[in-house]
Amino acid sequence: MKFAAVRPVSRVLARELAVTALLLLGVSAVVFAILYLAPGDPLNVLLEGQSPRSELALGMREALGVPRTWYGQYAAWFGKMLQGNFGNSIRTGLPVLPELARVGVNTLYLTLGSLALTLLIAVPIAVHTAAHGDTAGNTAATIGAYILSAVPVFWFGYIVVYVFIHKFGMFPLISGTATKQAQAWLYFLVPIFVLGTASGTLSEVIRHLREELSRVLAEDYIRTARAKGAPVWRHAFKEGFLIPVTEIVSAKIPFLLGGAVIVEQVFNWPGMGRMAWQAAQDRDYPVIMGIALVAAAFVRFGNLLQRVVFTAVNPRASKE
Amino acid sequence: MRSYVQGPASVDESSQLPLWRRAETMDLVYVGYGLLVVALVLASYLLGALGWLPHDPQAMNVGLINAAPFTPGHLLGTDFLGRDLQARLILGIQAYFLPGLLAITISVVAGSVLGILAGYRGGWSDTIITYFDNLLDSFPRLVLILLVIASFKPDIYYVMVVVGITGMPVIANLIAGKIAFLRQTNFIEAAHALGLPAHTVILKHILWFNCRAALVIQATLGMAEAILVETSLSYLGFGVQEPTPSWGNMVQAGANYFLQGNFWPSTAPALAILATILGFQLLGDGLNNLLEGKRGK
Repeated sequence: MKFAAVRPVSRVLARELAVTALLLLGVSAVVFAILYLAPGDPLNVLLEGQSPRSELALGMREALGVPRTWYGQYAAWFGKMLQGNFGNSIRTGLPVLPELARVGVNTLYLTLGSLALTLLIAVPIAVHTAAHGDTAGNTAATIGAYILSAVPVFWFGYIVVYVFIHKFGMFPLISGTATKQAQAWLYFLVPIFVLGTASGTLSEVIRHLREELSRVLAEDYIRTARAKGAPVWRHAFKEGFLIPVTEIVSAKIPFLLGGAVIVEQVFNWPGMGRMAWQAAQDRDYPVIMGIALVAAAFVRFGNLLQRVVFTAVNPRASKE
Repeated sequence: MRSYVQGPASVDESSQLPLWRRAETMDLVYVGYGLLVVALVLASYLLGALGWLPHDPQAMNVGLINAAPFTPGHLLGTDFLGRDLQARLILGIQAYFLPGLLAITISVVAGSVLGILAGYRGGWSDTIITYFDNLLDSFPRLVLILLVIASFKPDIYYVMVVVGITGMPVIANLIAGKIAFLRQTNFIEAAHALGLPAHTVILKHILWFNCRAALVIQATLGMAEAILVETSLSYLGFGVQEPTPSWGNMVQAGANYFLQGNFWPSTAPALAILATILGFQLLGDGLNNLLEGKRGK
């Protein structure tokens, strides 16, 4: 019985992997297309102030071995990327991929930490409202979550910074870098707190989980479980909790990464978001391309994990 | 637990009542607040467009900088150059109003077309559109916008085209889902049996009769997103530039004085952002609960 169930699941997972690979291919095509359609030529940036003559640019092009056709350029770029060569930053001259790996870890701390905090706040509220319906306290919590998710995250950051300076006498302005002080861990927690509470994910996690859980709790099989005295939560857990939580978490990863751009800016957090901001300022193509690709890879990976959980939990998923 | 049991009889009875009587109070409060915000934004936009402002938004008064609200002559105080905050807040709506409308028009129109193709034609077009949706959903919106900014140095309208495009998948999925459901209903089958042309069935019976509420709701939520994007970009320095006011760059400009204890110049625009985004979100969710009957119990 169990053996028979294993095979289709693995087949579904193989299919999901193939879909993810196809999507990542598409992602690279979109990034390439945007850069290809952009006016101007990166060579102009390289040659800026040196020579305006077009023959020279052409000679430079030949010397660098830039393919002439768009598909040639795409293939060359894609091939290098597969070897881990994302090019060098125009501003610093450093190779993009090691730089991204260095700052990406900080962004990972920030987003995963804030995700954990969001769930820590959202899950109890959602479960409580789903189980007990509308009470005054629940309504207040729901409205509070709505307001919190509409707070501009950049302003909220200043408030938190102000409170820390004036109430606690601390200066968490260069977070993530200060490691000597005793309260260094606080510098890490403040941006996580800001992104986790005010990024707009909170109210959506609450809403999605509450809707799904209350739908499941109204199902016949839960009523049966309740009638025969079986533990309701164990029966409702997979469909009413695990699936909606993984669904909303994977759907919110792009929003968290976007929110990280702003929070990292407010707190000078040395992560990918700040790097993206800097790259957009300097029109540093290789860096912003690399960030877009890595961010999209994060998103697809989160989505893949969600599909894995969904397939593992829901045997019907393998019939698709 | 609910204190009452809703049987089929009471459902029938209650559906005879007008909408606002069988609605839940909170939903009405949400929608009421949302409509109030929309009316205020609309009125302020028109005031700004006509130039009927309480003050010249660019006139500086160096003797009166970072003034508190209710200062005589400046109802909402002044900023770090002594410019009137009320006038600048009203003018700041120009920064997102038309761009936001552009974004939601693109997502609603193009999203509906994709949704119809996916849901009505099915087959290959469904597969391709699902792929396209997933592709768009792979990018964090702000990162994609920064990529576009780095490559094109576009103005806010082009940025909003990107916002509109990234908003398409939600609408496409919604419409495709609705069509998948509606196709099985008797009246669509009857419309087909009567030999009605496909465009009548799609435009009139599916989009107009059955999807317009959902589209309005999505447009409302889309406006909240557009405001968020515009204010974030202006805060980051990529949107509207000083001295033209935008709520985002006002927060940014006031932030330099924030840590010295002058909260107001950056808090006033922040509260405007908060109240407005909240209004559009509550309007969307409230309407969703009222018209689409999705109750978050």
